[in-house]
Amino acid sequence: MNISNTQFLIGGLVIAILIGGLAVFLASGDPDGLESTALYVQGEKTLTGPSPEDGDPEAVGVSDGFAYTAPLPDYSMGEEGGKIGEIFAVFAGILIVFGLAFIASRLIAVKTK
Amino acid sequence: MHIPDAFLPLWQSAIYWIVALVLIALALKWAKNELSEDKIPLVAVLSAGIFAIQAFNLPVAMGTSGHLVGGALAAIVLGSPYAAVFILTLVLIIQGIIFGDGGLTTMGVNILNMGVIGGFVGFYEYKTLSGAGLNRYASAGIVAWLACVIAAIAASLEMAIAGTFPLVPGLIAMGTYHVAIGVIEGIITAAAIYFIATARPDLLAENVTTEAAA
Repeated sequence: MNISNTQFLIGGLVIAILIGGLAVFLASGDPDGLESTALYVQGEKTLTGPSPEDGDPEAVGVSDGFAYTAPLPDYSMGEEGGKIGEIFAVFAGILIVFGLAFIASRLIAVKTK
Repeated sequence: MHIPDAFLPLWQSAIYWIVALVLIALALKWAKNELSEDKIPLVAVLSAGIFAIQAFNLPVAMGTSGHLVGGALAAIVLGSPYAAVFILTLVLIIQGIIFGDGGLTTMGVNILNMGVIGGFVGFYEYKTLSGAGLNRYASAGIVAWLACVIAAIAASLEMAIAGTFPLVPGLIAMGTYHVAIGVIEGIITAAAIYFIATARPDLLAENVTTEAAA
């Protein structure tokens, strides 16, 4: 089953969008490995036990020299954006990364012909 | 494994950024000399796919979740560790600037952990294992798991130097969680390579090399 470049591009993008859409509804809300470690070293969590609902992994931070508020924090449009906002954020991210990677590699890649 | 701004003192972030910029320059040089135009769809699809799947946290028990990082995947598919640096840098720039996932001052260290370590461990260990005759998908899965665990160990050392995590508890927890998260990395990496090998075998770097040698 060999497919053309265009089919590969569109097929790949569709798969990415499906994964992103599923992620909005199915992704685990548990902290990731780094955040869990931050909770563990603060004594808020045992090594293999559950994570606290309201734990703050970043409380372990050592630097407050720089703060930045992203336009779509945590892949959402804020509390009021709900699931629709999250879907918009993830889809926008996928399209931006896809476009950026396409344009960047187009500008840099070796011209074959 | 995205390190936020608060986890590193600024001067340490700056050092990691300088090292990362050197690697990014080498990745751009790789793209200019080695990345042919017919690979552009693959780079775009891998970047979008890695971004999407990084948003999909899967539970690994122990109150913890994790997702694919994708450095080993990019390096194996495109046949160079610099491909991972190139793609993960693009993904991390968008994640940091637009979504606040990973800091901006700490973007350098995140590029090193996920792009550089992921890419170099993935690429060279894959060459070793598949060169030793191990099946392509088994090799890819094992090296992706290893890349995840080594990146986690690197992150815990960085956190210990910063004074964010104490050394031993940090290593134990990061190691434990990423031994589990690495299984996700391994399975998805092997599956993604299988899909590409089925849809477009000509796009896989090792197939190109084999054809050229034949």
